[in-house]
Amino acid sequence: MTAIQINGLGLVGGFGCGQQALLGALEKGEVSPVAVALRDHHIPLLQADSAPLENFLNKRALRRIDHFSRLALLGAFQALEDAAQPALDKSRLGLVLASGFGPLTTTFDFLDSVIEDGDICASPTAFSNSVHNAAAAHISMQLQITGPNLTISQFDQSLAAGLLSAWQGLAEERVDAVLLGVVDEYCPVLGHCWEKFCEIPGAQRMTPLDFSRMTGIVGEGAAFFLLQRETPIPARYGRINSVKVGNLCGSKPQLEIVRPLILGCEGLLNNGATYGQYVANGQPVACYSPLYGASPVSPAFDLAVAALSLQRGLLFPSSDDGGDYYQGGVIRETRPCSALGCLRFGNDGEYAVIHLSRGDL
Amino acid sequence: MNQAVAISGVGCLCAAGMTLASASASMLRRERNPGPPRAFLTSHPSPYPVFEVLAALPRQGNNPELLRTTRLALSALAEALVDAGLDDADLFGLKVGVCIGTTVGSAMNNEDFYRDFRSGADPSMAPIERYLRSNPASAVARHYRLDGPCQVVVNACASGTDAIGLGASWVRSGVCDIALVGGADELCRTTYNGFASLMIADSKPCKPFDQQRRGLNLGEGAGMLVLESAASLRSRGKSPRGYLLGYGSGTDAYHLTAPHPEGRGLRQALAETLRTANVKAQQVSFINVHGTGTPDNDRVESLVLGQLFPRTPLVATKCYTGHTLGAAGAIEAVLTLASLEQQQLPGNVGLTHADPELSVYPSAEPVGVRGTLAISESLAFGGNNSALLIGLEVPR
Repeated sequence: MTAIQINGLGLVGGFGCGQQALLGALEKGEVSPVAVALRDHHIPLLQADSAPLENFLNKRALRRIDHFSRLALLGAFQALEDAAQPALDKSRLGLVLASGFGPLTTTFDFLDSVIEDGDICASPTAFSNSVHNAAAAHISMQLQITGPNLTISQFDQSLAAGLLSAWQGLAEERVDAVLLGVVDEYCPVLGHCWEKFCEIPGAQRMTPLDFSRMTGIVGEGAAFFLLQRETPIPARYGRINSVKVGNLCGSKPQLEIVRPLILGCEGLLNNGATYGQYVANGQPVACYSPLYGASPVSPAFDLAVAALSLQRGLLFPSSDDGGDYYQGGVIRETRPCSALGCLRFGNDGEYAVIHLSRGDL
Repeated sequence: MNQAVAISGVGCLCAAGMTLASASASMLRRERNPGPPRAFLTSHPSPYPVFEVLAALPRQGNNPELLRTTRLALSALAEALVDAGLDDADLFGLKVGVCIGTTVGSAMNNEDFYRDFRSGADPSMAPIERYLRSNPASAVARHYRLDGPCQVVVNACASGTDAIGLGASWVRSGVCDIALVGGADELCRTTYNGFASLMIADSKPCKPFDQQRRGLNLGEGAGMLVLESAASLRSRGKSPRGYLLGYGSGTDAYHLTAPHPEGRGLRQALAETLRTANVKAQQVSFINVHGTGTPDNDRVESLVLGQLFPRTPLVATKCYTGHTLGAAGAIEAVLTLASLEQQQLPGNVGLTHADPELSVYPSAEPVGVRGTLAISESLAFGGNNSALLIGLEVPR
């Protein structure tokens, strides 16, 4: 199998809900974070609102479903609706859900119940929704997807791991299509960790191409993709030609053939410089993380931007124009686009390069 | 398409034994030793027994900077690599992937940290740093400086089985030369309280398939396998210990915590497993069932297996290991291979009065088996079901 097609998109993030919301943010070039309370102060957050899920499910069905699973359900419903393939056999549809941290809120809700009420009064509802694959279970139940169902967790590289699993399932013809989703949510403990490990920016705007400063703002959300094997019918949003993963301890990412590149940097000091080290000066690059924030889900939003760009044949200007701090080739004007790549470095030396091209080529 | 992938080494560590050989031997002797948890305190009036690994972990499992789950994985992997005849130097230069299933190993649920946080204190970040360092697949890759694909499967109690199935596809497709696959999980107060809250933990030693079964006992441990391409094995002049011949999975899409009453997803998983291996049900020597000892699980498994495999011997090993969650599928896969090699199954030590409503169930006493093929299956929270077909040889 030489490529997989992207034929449906479902999105919810700090930019809003749906691909029109993301397109609007890409055209505007910025999204304002909200201020959320954390103990005695506030921190900025690119927050995702799952309320539009009520367009797909009634309130009764949503009872006892937590924010993490709601985000996942909203992404999944949108992606299938967008793909508009009513004849898709749900027993031949695989579900791959990837998350950096899983359902954090219910994890701590469960601990709240233990701490407040004692071991014997722990909440079964919070526990069952805190298990990492609960969101995938909710999706399978609500959408009656009975094909293989896989949840994985690989921090920064969760998208790449999910793509690799989807690719294998399609290549071996275990399934006809894969609904791949990446989901992560904010919770106060995450905000606290963010404060302890990173410097919360005073400014309300991320400049991720400035590798010398910490400007990352926490994000959350869900991005879903309906993926299928190549057919004579052009892909709706482009095709993924390869997913290359590796570790800097043993190999280097091959970036020369992938032009332009969407960089997965997020204004974090711990891995920002790695982009500067491995991306050549002449390489045209763009970075859109200011539109959705720093989160394990942001590589999936990068992939969604790539998919939308390939569909339109136009790449949007980088949301960080590079100012006077990035000396490479930042894309500052809308430009034609028939192929591109997404690059993500993790904290352990792990990297992933996804190479895409237009679906009609 | 020939789906067979060679298994060149295996390792296992659980309450039944610190190595595969010792665990297999103790199970055949019908030894088990569940007891109240020692790793943490509990205020349940009558503590639920657990199957805890009480012995010190071997050298690879001593790094205090890592979660115990990850140390269990590294310990079992060390045994598997020795069994495969591989050392660190052999792995260098090869494309080696890591795929490990877990539940606790991926959860940011440190209770002490959280108690301090919610009280307004400024807790040490050490538990969070340890969690961030302890993604089991990444930690293994870091330990051996590996450059291949790396991922953790968090499919609840089917995680280990799915991790093995996925890793096999990497080897089959050439994504990597070797895949280090399996599952690991530690005993944890959070999951202990969680299963108690669901009222599916037995306050006595578990009794899978017994009329008086009341639920599961948690356990801890790890099972790891070295899956290797034929070319890599040839270049080393090594013979495989066995083969992973088939893998399948299916989803109930029914309920968050209860299995589908007719076992819809399990049937799908078993059908795919046999189909991918091009094997008929009659060729299967035995099935290592999920067998948690919960009323629902055992009833659904017995229903499905009674219809699809009415005369195939069953074995339920959780009565010796406890339910090791994300590790269970991997530990049971390794034990399945060992039972094939020994042509003998341990008895179901908790079974004294078989449930008359169940059409099939494991033998209470050890039994001999014949043949070279066996299935290991997992049923998970969320309606995930998966199965592996393991063989001593590739059937013609």
